[in-house]
Amino acid sequence: MNTITQHLNSRRDFLALTTATVVGVALTGCNRGERPDRITLAVSTQTNPFFVQLINGAETEAEAQDIELNVQDASDDAARQADQIATAITQDVDVVIVNPTDSDAVSVSVEALNEAGIPAIAVDRDATSGELASFVASDNVAGGTQAARTLAEALGKKGEVIVIQGVPGSSASRDRGKGFTDGIKEFPDITIAAQQTANFDRAEGLDVATNLMQAHPEAVGIFCENDEMALGAVEALGARAGKEVFVVGFDGTVEGVQAVADGSMLATIAQQPEELGKQAVLEAIKLIRGDQAAPEVSVDVVTVTEENVGDYQ
Amino acid sequence: MPDQRTPLLTLKSVSKSFGPVKVIDDVTVDVRAGEVEVLLGENGAGKSTLIKMMSGIYQPDTGRILVDGQPVHLPDVKAAEAHGIATIHQELNLVPQLSVAENITLGRTPQRFGVVDKPRMNAVAREALERIGLDVPLAKPVGELGVARQQLVEIAKALSQDARLLILDEPTAALTGREIDALFEVVDDLKRRGVGMVFISHHLDEIPRIGDSISVLRDGQFVAQVPANTSQDNLIALMVGRDIDDQFPRKRPEEQGEPLLEVQGLSSGEAFEDVNFSVHAGEVLGIAGLVGAGRTEVLRAIFGVDPYDSGSVTLQGKALPPHDVGRSIAEGLGLVPEDRKSQGLVLDASVGDNAGLATLRSTSKFGLVDRSGQRSRAQVVTDQLAVRMAGLDQPIRDLSGGNQQKVVFARWVMADAKVLLLDEPTRGVDVGAKVEIYELINEITSLGGAVVMVSSELPEVLGMSDRVLVMSNGRVAGVLDADDATEDSVMALAVSEVTSAVTASEPSTKSAGTPS
Amino acid sequence: MTATATSNTKPADRPNRPSGAARLGQWAMNNGALVGLILLCLALFIATPDFLKLDNLVNIGIQASVVAIMAFGMTFVIVTAGIDLSVGAVAALGAMVSAYSFSTLGLPGILTLFIGLLIGALAGAISGLSIAYGKLPAFIATLAMMSVARGLTLVISDGTPIPTSGSVSLLGSSIGAFPVPIIAMVIAGLLCWFVLSRTVLGRSMYAIGGNEEAARLSGLPVKRILVTVYALAGLFAGLAGMVLAGRLSSAGPQAGVGYELDAIAAVVIGGASLSGGSGRATGTLVGAILLAVIRNGLNLLNVSSFWQQVVIGLVIALAVGFDVLRRKTAR
Repeated sequence: MNTITQHLNSRRDFLALTTATVVGVALTGCNRGERPDRITLAVSTQTNPFFVQLINGAETEAEAQDIELNVQDASDDAARQADQIATAITQDVDVVIVNPTDSDAVSVSVEALNEAGIPAIAVDRDATSGELASFVASDNVAGGTQAARTLAEALGKKGEVIVIQGVPGSSASRDRGKGFTDGIKEFPDITIAAQQTANFDRAEGLDVATNLMQAHPEAVGIFCENDEMALGAVEALGARAGKEVFVVGFDGTVEGVQAVADGSMLATIAQQPEELGKQAVLEAIKLIRGDQAAPEVSVDVVTVTEENVGDYQ
Repeated sequence: MPDQRTPLLTLKSVSKSFGPVKVIDDVTVDVRAGEVEVLLGENGAGKSTLIKMMSGIYQPDTGRILVDGQPVHLPDVKAAEAHGIATIHQELNLVPQLSVAENITLGRTPQRFGVVDKPRMNAVAREALERIGLDVPLAKPVGELGVARQQLVEIAKALSQDARLLILDEPTAALTGREIDALFEVVDDLKRRGVGMVFISHHLDEIPRIGDSISVLRDGQFVAQVPANTSQDNLIALMVGRDIDDQFPRKRPEEQGEPLLEVQGLSSGEAFEDVNFSVHAGEVLGIAGLVGAGRTEVLRAIFGVDPYDSGSVTLQGKALPPHDVGRSIAEGLGLVPEDRKSQGLVLDASVGDNAGLATLRSTSKFGLVDRSGQRSRAQVVTDQLAVRMAGLDQPIRDLSGGNQQKVVFARWVMADAKVLLLDEPTRGVDVGAKVEIYELINEITSLGGAVVMVSSELPEVLGMSDRVLVMSNGRVAGVLDADDATEDSVMALAVSEVTSAVTASEPSTKSAGTPS
Repeated sequence: MTATATSNTKPADRPNRPSGAARLGQWAMNNGALVGLILLCLALFIATPDFLKLDNLVNIGIQASVVAIMAFGMTFVIVTAGIDLSVGAVAALGAMVSAYSFSTLGLPGILTLFIGLLIGALAGAISGLSIAYGKLPAFIATLAMMSVARGLTLVISDGTPIPTSGSVSLLGSSIGAFPVPIIAMVIAGLLCWFVLSRTVLGRSMYAIGGNEEAARLSGLPVKRILVTVYALAGLFAGLAGMVLAGRLSSAGPQAGVGYELDAIAAVVIGGASLSGGSGRATGTLVGAILLAVIRNGLNLLNVSSFWQQVVIGLVIALAVGFDVLRRKTAR
């Protein structure tokens, strides 16, 4: 999962698009005599490739199973997501899959779904309250620990490392950071020299990595809580990247994997966003058929290194 | 009721300096209950500093303030208000969007549990309005009232806070004759009730009507206290510190020159219709009329600020395109606008930048400012015009009104304007500086230029114009020769179309006022 | 016209000239950012000797460059009493169109550089047209442009970063020991200074910002100038966007989000008044560098991410407080 900096403008970006989709769906819904099975997928944002891939996975699976999948984009705006779920309730869809913009804010919507008798599935991010039929997510904490181990091995289990954090307070940043810190404790000769945020942004990652390398020139490893920042850090290191200083990212984006392949990044912890989308749809179909859904579906995260990078390109 | 002998308020030997500049130097003023004390002086004489001391905005460096004979300290406006001293500023302290009642009770709105107590608010407001005999709907937004009534609302507000000393800072500046009469009635009534007042006005003719005595200030010093019936000439001499032999030193040309500016059949919507006139080299054409007669609009249309519907403007035989200020300036036209601060000057900029504004483009090469040229020309022209300043780099904000106005003139001298359109050229300018501006007008015409001057001050129009064009309700009501024009004949023309528009609605009345 | 040396002049005109102390105070107020920058640098040097290393100073220059270039364009706008909220999004759009025309359309690299600048200027000109001729408030017109530009960036990129051409990437790299972003910043700054202080256009901006009506009545083509001003702001934003993309060798759909606020902050910290009529290129440069120094210093000192936002917020509040105070003392 991959949170994006919250910002002012993206909230309005897809307003027109979203409105058009809602109206369009409502119209086609009215025209049908026999109701097909319908799923609404409410995602936090489409401005990040990760969620685009998640949607692709869900759409591919829905198409294969001949299910109508309606995708809504909240542009990282919790209020808009609440509106979109309310619309789904009015449309009386069969299942709502939600990728929350915010785990707390989505709870009200999940409770509303419970009340309306529509099963709710959360993907990538949890809901703090309300009853979920299923929660499909990658294991971010485990991913952080995997990153720590990979980095430690490459460093010969000693030296100083730097952590570049995501948006302060976001669950992704919390979980990945926790996993990494826990993992690094297994190696007493490795110390975390500095932890600073770059808000999951590549340009900020470049600046923050530059500054931290200035303050800690002896650092030999950098863990970034997403690939965007890791790519920024690689820019900052220049020729030293992958030779003197090892960078580990998170997400397994196309560019991240490419950087692993060309050796500038040591590893990226790949989530499988398409798999997340696919699993969520599969759970939804179970519910439509009247079966029980699995309460928790853990989608593996994979450490992509030089050795297995070919499989992910 | 305080003893009539003890002044309500006394400023005793007060002085005030800002940095090295002593703006008030050992001034003593008394204000008595039931009397109007007039403060008279040119701009910068220290009147506003003095009333700011009375109202607690400034504190004197030395000297004392006495209320009812007792020394007091007024650290802020609240303290002054607690002593019953209220100021009605030129810029009114009202919230235009709020109702009359809300404005009167603003800051002490009656409330119950945080909810506005409307009946009590209205009662307070009604009582306040009754005290000055003002009849306006309590619920009306103040912004929808005229300036005069807004002012009265502000006075009512002050009185409802038990003010016994009112400071009226140029209350008549924005009022018409009839509104001034109404205000003075209120002032007279307040005098009878024992309210003391401080009155500031630039209109000398108003002073004997309501004043009791006059304190004259000059350059921060107390000059004299004289009775209110002192002659205007004497008052001017006291203010300026010397005799002004001729208030209007117009030198009329011997013979009429070539026509420079010709305006034919100019019409624009509701604003004005079929305006015709021409101005000749060496001539001053005065334009008189009531406020709203369309005089400013005609000037703006000629200059190209606003578009017009039909008609033509010809300058030195060349037709000027409509709505193109740049071309008008290039052909030799200049406009000194009505409101110096909001239309004429860039207040934050320097004297030099302001003077060079109209020539910024015409003197540039390849888009670059001709800095040294602009500067040297500005220096020459401001010297010619005797602009008193510390230098071209001084912010124009710091200059007196008269000197600011001279800089606006300087701009057009630099631009080599042949015809100047002046809109209320001496508004807010001291008596002394007024005469300098009149002499400037003489200079322009003696060098073969021409001037069109809109003014609401009839003595000025009559004293400075060679011909007087009178506008009424958007039309030219008539053109008078200077020798034939009197205040009465001008006023008769000024109201001619106004009355005919009310009494007759036939289109035939249109031609009644057009000049022959 | 000959001298009007009149006999009846007032003996002494007394302009309200400020005293020496007041002038010094005024100077400190007008150069508050520079004073603040120097103090901050001293404090950081004491706290961490790494700060004054040449490497680090060069880094700060590079890190200030994008916001500084954007802020130079913003200075024009703010001098005319306007505001441009779209510069961050326009920067992203310019860079994205440039990268798209290289990666997808296959145009030559040097051409894509100009395309990015052109797109920026075009977007700015559209804002300017709707402000000058459409009478939209600048806040609204540029807010709309911000949304449109960001939306178009997402549409073109389909949500994923696109690699930039070599020419654009050069903007983010170094020529020998000279980092190109700093060179670009210096050039943009000189251009801004030159336009503001030497050209008719620049002087007209001050006049319009100080008093639009007076400028119009003095024959300045106010509407044309306003369009030019916003087009310039867009052009500078386009350049900033390409420096940003150049540093990363890729144009991102989320690049430059929130940068408009940094740019406005830099201009205001640098001594411009949001009410128009004042503002200097040097001040803006100081403002942008101050912001970069704060971020750099907080990184060097490893200050918690949570506190960084507090500190930056306080600096902006201080800067606007200065603006208010300055206007108070000016009246």
